[in-house]
Order: sequence, then C-alpha cells, then structure tokens
Amino acid sequence: MKYLLNKYYILFFGLILTISSCSTNNLAENGNNTDPFEQTNRDIFKFNNGVDDYFFKPVARGWRKLPSFPKDNLANLAETAYAPLSLANAMLQFDTEGASVIIRRLLINLTFGIGGMYDVASTEEFGNIEKREEDFGQTLAVYGFSDGPYIMLPIFGPSNLRDSFGRVVDAVFNPVSFAFRMQNIGLEGRLSQPVVAGVEKRETYLDYMEEIEESSLDYYATIKSLYMQKRKKDIKNGKGGIQSKINYELDENWDVGVDTLIDSPTKAFLEPEMEKKVDYIDDLPSSNHPKFNEETIYLTN
Amino acid sequence: MLKKSYFFLIFLFPFIVSSKDPLTNSRLFIENLGNKVINTVADKNLDDKIREKNFRKLYNEAFDNKYISKFVLGRHWKKIDEKTKKIFFTSFNDYLVMVYAPKFKGWSGTFKTTKSSQIKNNLYLVEMKLINSKDSPSLKLDWRMYLNSKNEFKILDVNIDGVSMLVTQRAEFISVIKNSPDGVMGLIKKMKIKTNS
Repeated sequence: MKYLLNKYYILFFGLILTISSCSTNNLAENGNNTDPFEQTNRDIFKFNNGVDDYFFKPVARGWRKLPSFPKDNLANLAETAYAPLSLANAMLQFDTEGASVIIRRLLINLTFGIGGMYDVASTEEFGNIEKREEDFGQTLAVYGFSDGPYIMLPIFGPSNLRDSFGRVVDAVFNPVSFAFRMQNIGLEGRLSQPVVAGVEKRETYLDYMEEIEESSLDYYATIKSLYMQKRKKDIKNGKGGIQSKINYELDENWDVGVDTLIDSPTKAFLEPEMEKKVDYIDDLPSSNHPKFNEETIYLTN
Repeated sequence: MLKKSYFFLIFLFPFIVSSKDPLTNSRLFIENLGNKVINTVADKNLDDKIREKNFRKLYNEAFDNKYISKFVLGRHWKKIDEKTKKIFFTSFNDYLVMVYAPKFKGWSGTFKTTKSSQIKNNLYLVEMKLINSKDSPSLKLDWRMYLNSKNEFKILDVNIDGVSMLVTQRAEFISVIKNSPDGVMGLIKKMKIKTNS
C-alpha cells in the first residue's frame, strides 16, 4: 500500500512539473499573460468569497474572541510545528541567514517557550527574532522556476502553478501530518497544524481584508496584485522587493499637454540631463518602456 | 528682555525647522502629516463633509496627485484625450477622498517614524511603524517622496509591508479598463458609482 502511495506521489509531482514547464512555454509565447484562466479564476474567487463570508470570517471572528490562552499558545504551537519544514526549505535555498533565524527561534521557543507554546523568541529579552516562513514554492523560485499562470485555488485562495505544486509538497512533508501519518492517526489529527495556522492568519488580516474589499473597484485584481507582490517579497526575503524596482522617474513626455492640470513641478527630481533621456532598467514599470506590460513587467524582480 | 527673546525664538522657529537637512525634514514632513491627519481627519465628532474637505486638502498638499494619476493609468494615459484626462484626474481625486477619508473616522492608532534615507538625487524614503489596533498586527510603512524645486516634499507611493499601493492601484485600474467596453470612461463611471454610494 505504501509502495502504491509513493508511486502516486511521484506520478503526481511528475505531472505537475510537466504542466508547469508546458505552461511556462505557453506563457512566453502568449506575451506574458499571467492570468490565462482569468474567467475560471474569477468564478472560483467568487465561490471562495462566499465560503469566506459564511464560514471563514465567522470562524476568524470567533477565534479573535478567544482569550490569549489558549489562542496564542495554539498559534505558537502551529508555528513551531511548521518550523522544521521552513528550516528544510531555507537550507534547500542555501539561505544560511534564514536557516539560522529559524533554528534560533525554534530552539528558544522549544526550551524557554515550553515546547513552543510561548513565542519568547520575539521578545526583547531574546533579541526580537522575527518570524520566518519558507515554503517549497519559494525554494522552486530560488531554483529558477517561473511563477507559471496565476491560479485561484478553491478554499486556499490565490496561488500560481509553481506555488500550488509547492503547497502539495509542503502538505506531504508537513512535520505534524507526517508524524500523525506514521502513527496511522486520521485526517482530523493531520490537519490540526494547517487549520490552526490558517485560522490564525485569517484572523490577523480580518480588518485589512474587509477594508480592501470595501474600497476596491475590482477586488479580484487587487488581491491578485497584492498576492504577486507579497510572493516576490517573500522569495527575496524582504530584500530588494518590488519597491526598489519601481521606476518613479517620469518619462520625457510627462508634461506634454497636461500642464494645465496642476502646477506641481514634478520633474524637479530628475537631474537636468536626465530629463532628456531616462535610462530604463529592463524590469522597471515605466509606462514609456518599450516592453512595458501592465501585467508583468512591473512585477518582475 | 526674556519676553523679547521668546518672541525672537518663536519668530525664528519655522526657519530653524526648514533649515534642517532634507533627510530630517523628510521625517518631519511625514510626522507632521500624521499629526495633521489625527487632528483634522480622525476626530470622530467631526462632520463628515468637513472630514472629507480636510482629507482632500492634506492629500493634495502632500501627494503628487498628477504623478499618481498618470502612473495608475499606465499606458492608457497616452491613449486618452485631454478632456478625459481632466475628468479622470478629478474623478480619481474624488474617489480617493470618498473611499479613504471615512476610514480615518475615530482612528486611534499610533505611529512612529523609524528611519529616513535618501534614495538618490531628491528622492527620499521614510520608514514608519503603524499600529492600528490591538487586534491588528503592526504595519511597516515606507513613504517614497521627492523634494521639488519649491523645497516641498511630494509623496509618490506608500509601501505597506512590502506591497506598493501605487502598483496595486494600477493593477486594479488596468483590470477594470480591460474588462470594460468603455475603457477608461468605464473606469471613471465605476469610480463615480463608488464615490456616490
């Protein structure tokens, strides 16, 4: 039986990798359209929002009302349980700094934090060690795998082909699920870590998501953009994320015909010689760039 | 004599502040903006119309509305005529005011600027830590701005936890334009509906 299961996993991974490489080629041919399944994605997004309204939001609100004991402790345990997987991914990425942060957090919280129930590593006494999560999607990105098409997963939300595959690998190797599987413990036990981590994350962003939804003209497009930017930042571990790549300099045609709108001397931050010619860096999102593409260029790091 | 000195100092104070280096001034600019928002927009007893008026004034003074309007339309900016540009500019301004001003009603969070740096030439970055409420996680805000020839700072973008608001807004607008048979006018219509709702 175990042999058969292993065989299925290998087959599944092989299939995903094949689809990933095919879709990457198709993307290149189709002019960098990051969302070729937009209509299907929008339908799934609508479904997800319904589930969110009637299930996840009420659960998250209920979770918020729980006292910090046991709420914070369960969340800390879920984070500690995921740490070995983060560590493995950091090591696969040759990210020594990230691995060191994860090890320090793990050791401190396992010992002084009573088995990971308390997040003492984030306190000033232990040097405010920041939380660090690494997943297999990020590892694949470091190895050079492109995002693939944008995919809206039912229940799980925004993703792309590479990260969806990474999610499956992480689910298989999730330490808690893995340990429970070895002990022949059922699905309810195996899902404990992902469920607690998911509810905690949903609760954290409850207010912000509601505000974003309320103010958006196209909620789907906003979430897609936020997800893509966030993933770029995660892959780079917050270093030199999208901000450093945004071209804030205005092109030479900036003031043509729009002087009457406002008298703000916007061009002032360009040096005089730069006003005539702006050097483009290939991945900057200037709308005047010859290869400018609203969907992809400005999100490329 | 003492009174005279005080008067002299008070008179000189604005000049002392403005004579500081741009790096310090960039930080002061953001701190002042935050305090102005708390004093003139966040007060929950304020009439909503006055709140909107105050927010519009602060936004137009502190942000480069013209730059932002062009950036969020991407390549569509060049495709539209002058009249549409003006309509978009006004509608976008109204949309921002109507959407964001009410969000500050009764805002009781705290903020602290943590670092300011010069990116290049007269482009500056001010980092801020923002705590909205005890239930929400603290946010790291990066304010990108430039110093114009009038020695005024103008904000170009706000980056929240690594996510650019300018890029997000553009992605949303481009999507609305793409999915609307009326293009930019369709976006303007949608903004107006949101503004009037």
